[in-house]
Amino acid sequence: MRTLTILAAAAAVCIAHAGSMAPALAADPLAQVKERETLMKKLGGGMKAVGGFVKNEGPTAADVQAAAAAITEVSTVDPRTVFPEGTAIGVGDSEAKPELWQNWTTAEGYWNDLKPAAEQLTAAAGSGDRAQVARAMQAVGKVCQTCHEDFRLKK
Amino acid sequence: MRAAAPAAARATVRAAVRATLAGAVIAVAGAMALPAAGQDPPAADPSSDDPVARGAYVFAAAGCLGCHTDVKGGGTLLAGGRALETPFGTFHSPNITPHPQHGIGAWSEADFVRAFRDGRRPDGDALFPAFPYGSYTGMTERDLLDLRAYLFSLPAADTPNRPHDLDPPFGWRFLLPVWQWLYLERGPLADDPSQPPEWNRGRYLVDVLGHCGECHTPRSRLGGLDRDAHMAGNRAGPEGEAVPNISPNPERGIGAWSIGDIELFLEIGMMPDGDFAGGSMGEVITNSTSKLTAEDRRAIAVYLKSLPPQP
Repeated sequence: MRTLTILAAAAAVCIAHAGSMAPALAADPLAQVKERETLMKKLGGGMKAVGGFVKNEGPTAADVQAAAAAITEVSTVDPRTVFPEGTAIGVGDSEAKPELWQNWTTAEGYWNDLKPAAEQLTAAAGSGDRAQVARAMQAVGKVCQTCHEDFRLKK
Repeated sequence: MRAAAPAAARATVRAAVRATLAGAVIAVAGAMALPAAGQDPPAADPSSDDPVARGAYVFAAAGCLGCHTDVKGGGTLLAGGRALETPFGTFHSPNITPHPQHGIGAWSEADFVRAFRDGRRPDGDALFPAFPYGSYTGMTERDLLDLRAYLFSLPAADTPNRPHDLDPPFGWRFLLPVWQWLYLERGPLADDPSQPPEWNRGRYLVDVLGHCGECHTPRSRLGGLDRDAHMAGNRAGPEGEAVPNISPNPERGIGAWSIGDIELFLEIGMMPDGDFAGGSMGEVITNSTSKLTAEDRRAIAVYLKSLPPQP
């Protein structure tokens, strides 16, 4: 009996791993929420630097380039890895509304909008032109804001 | 029977006159609408000579769209039907298109102004303050008439209104005059001559048009705004959201935000830490503050920074 249970558990773990193609994926929903938070903070940190440059509060064109690279890196992560099923409000500090999974095509579309916007920001960062960076930042910000408006609980 | 015959004849005549008048009205309306056919409504412009364009700007600044359109349910523009969950029950916003029966098409200019200034319907009954007339009462006559001109330029929708679903005693309309006596400070709001024009404009945008305090200021148990706690936040906001303190308290409010931080937030929704607003504030940014002029966003920031910090 006991052996069977252990075998079943081991099999379940194997299936869980086989099902997820993305590397370094935590199967624990609490850890998944934390990982998402880390990714989002990375996006936010990038945007903060870009905003500082646009507002002329310190960050340099080089900082904007680094920020654009960080945002691009996050944008290439598979949305199914960022928002695995079972990580809605109620799990840890999750602020993701259940509507995100109910409207997955829309949510996935928002996430996929991030990459071209980030590329635009990278191009603008290369130019070092404040107005161009401001416009590109607005395009990235639009993606953040639209998705948060629909699928994030508050703030 | 004999008495009924003339009555029936009179009714027939009345019906015929009504039909003729209605036909005439449609013909006149059609003739008036013709030149505009195929044209887009004018863009929102606060300094335009066209009342409709100015009204479009007032419409954005006053944030009418979000409550009066059931966006998530795919509802028609301004046809109402959005459910607004509050601690007092659920309000269903009404149709504010110019439809003569289901909308506000039959409202005269005086009716329209009275709804905003005094919280009263054309029939004299009090309106529920979910329609934030406690803030809108401060609107200028010109902004109100411009707003009406804009709303009346939009297509009419024949969507009927849905009754509110409120908990007693909040659903008892006859109690509303008491509420108004307690909480309604009738406008228009006069400028404070001791303050610069930018501050006065900011106060008008925040406290009157934007009706920010309706969510960001806590309410008494009777649902009136606690004016001593202006912008102190509200743990029990609409849609079950906790609404943050936006007074200049450095820890709990936005005291650490620069004027530029506030301007950027109102324009694209980004907070100083790079995070982006979602939920109801995201809607406000999309529908309202992102559509304001840069000068108006700055005026809002200047006014907010001038308020007393709240704990």
